[in-house]
Amino acid sequence: MMTGWWLRRKRNRIKEAEAGRLDCAGIMERLYEYIDEELDDPRLVSAIRDHLEKCKVCFPQYEFEKAFLRFLAQRGANGAPPRLRRRIFQRLLEEESQS
Amino acid sequence: MAQKKAAHSEGFEREALVHLDTLYNVALRLTGNAADAEDLVQETVLKAYRAWDMYERGTNCRAWLVTILRNTFINQFRKQSKKPASVQFDSVEDVSIFESVQDRDPAGSFFRHIVDEEVTRAIQELPEDFRVAVVLSDVEGLSYGEIAEILGVPVGTVKSRLFRGRRRLQRRLYEYALEMGYIG
Ligand SMILES: [Zn+2]
Repeated sequence: MMTGWWLRRKRNRIKEAEAGRLDCAGIMERLYEYIDEELDDPRLVSAIRDHLEKCKVCFPQYEFEKAFLRFLAQRGANGAPPRLRRRIFQRLLEEESQS
Repeated sequence: MAQKKAAHSEGFEREALVHLDTLYNVALRLTGNAADAEDLVQETVLKAYRAWDMYERGTNCRAWLVTILRNTFINQFRKQSKKPASVQFDSVEDVSIFESVQDRDPAGSFFRHIVDEEVTRAIQELPEDFRVAVVLSDVEGLSYGEIAEILGVPVGTVKSRLFRGRRRLQRRLYEYALEMGYIG
């Protein structure tokens, strides 16, 4: 228990320090987590948002990464073929009539 | 009795079968071909149907199904005698391609010209650990926590697999776009 609490406190301190002095390298390290909305510290989120708004180096890369992820979401999907759907419904009917 | 059975399958259809597209997409990325993917999905759905009474209502059904699918794949479909070699560390692959394109195509509009087959191939060429994380996150929209649960790894591992998987995928697509002359 003690260890968990101590680790959490230590981690929080690191987060605070991080939010205080985020340079471009630090932003790049957390960029995906920021885009994915997976950062749980609101101070870190707003620090990154502020940096991105002002930084001419990071902002274009942020936009680029977002475009890439949008592209993946649109083009990476393959729906189940109707043939498979029929096959599965058929198989489930058989399964039901047994048992 | 018959009524109970009908309710059973109705619930299954309503809650589980709506995730068929997700299951197929993940299966396709794992097996690499449509025939195996279809068999894997069917096997998964049957297992889930038989275990439906064990499924805890109100929990994440999609994650539950993908977990069954992944375990079925590992046990029955990965025919190779050994696990695929663990991922080699190659830091060059992890560098962003943004620097290479920022002068010519900072908005990444070259992505749009890439044909679907090439996207599929590039995803397929990723090491399995990276591939699964990228597909679950970026195609299927699962959270880091859900992916960690499915894969049985810490969230930090999901983050690093995603980071490296995305960077590698970008690089592969960028190299293809260069070859095809999509980047001026
Ligand atoms: Zn910056």
